[in-house]
Amino acid sequence: MASNLLKVPIFSKLPSLATRIILPSAAYHRERIGNREVVGFGLNGEPSYIDRTDFPMPAIRFKENSQEITTLREKEKGDWKELSMDEKKTLYRASFCQTFSEMKAPTGEWKSVLAGTFVAMALTVWLYVWMKNFVYQPMPDSFTPEKKAAQLQRIIDLRVNPIEGLASKYDYENNRWKD
Amino acid sequence: MFRIAIQRGFSCVKNIQSVIIPYYAKIQPAAVTSVRSMSKHSTETDEEFDARYEAYFNRTDIDGWDVRKAMNDLQGMDLVPEPKIMIAALRACRRVNDYALAVRFLEAVKDKCGTRMKEIYPFLLQEVRPTLDELGICTPEEMGYDKPELHLENVYDIH
Repeated sequence: MASNLLKVPIFSKLPSLATRIILPSAAYHRERIGNREVVGFGLNGEPSYIDRTDFPMPAIRFKENSQEITTLREKEKGDWKELSMDEKKTLYRASFCQTFSEMKAPTGEWKSVLAGTFVAMALTVWLYVWMKNFVYQPMPDSFTPEKKAAQLQRIIDLRVNPIEGLASKYDYENNRWKD
Repeated sequence: MFRIAIQRGFSCVKNIQSVIIPYYAKIQPAAVTSVRSMSKHSTETDEEFDARYEAYFNRTDIDGWDVRKAMNDLQGMDLVPEPKIMIAALRACRRVNDYALAVRFLEAVKDKCGTRMKEIYPFLLQEVRPTLDELGICTPEEMGYDKPELHLENVYDIH
């Protein structure tokens, strides 16, 4: 009986205990997002902020709830016509980081990419010139014009490819190329 | 021995047939007229789609999560939302008291117009103009968001 009496105050305290229990994962995220409001599911259920044109509403607001923004949100509950342009912009920037036009603004990065490509190509050419001069041996003897002419004469003499190829274009009776 | 087994087998089949065939003969007519139950073949018309989204945004108990979910879904589809969907969405933003969301939605729809911005976007604005005036929502142009306002340093350049 006495033990039953003891239990009562403990049970009456439980609800207040329960409100203080925070899931480990929630604590992990809360530590990272500060007191930013979680306003949606987001891309994958993680409370993260990202600006994407194909997924424009991220899971959390961009800015933490400061005193100024909290009072502005109270005002937002009233008529929006009473908000000044500055307040509207503040509200937008509190929820979102970049506007669409800022997301899609050209970065000019293509210029440095193009410049880098040209630099690489120029270096490659100079590397080739250097290799040609200092690394490779001279071309073999068979690459001289006389030797090449001799090879051609030998091919003609052997009548190589007589149907459609080289020898078919040679006039053997008059010993010259056909017209 | 085998003959007996085979004969028994046949008689078994016959017995089963005599039970099953009348059964199928009975249900056959209904099966012929039924719809093919394919798993993922949408037969929703455009009107039904518009009505579905309009009704979704018009829900009185809608919250910010649901509004964002539908807006993100619409953004992933190969379409520009009808003005009546937009009006319902803007009113939903009003109900959840999120001004930024309304402007963001207008921007998102503008982005969906793609290469035919000059044809579609003025029409949409003309259609939703009464709602914008009623709720006091500024268009992205009036907010000055049609051109970049702030510069954000690339995160890869910060450190």
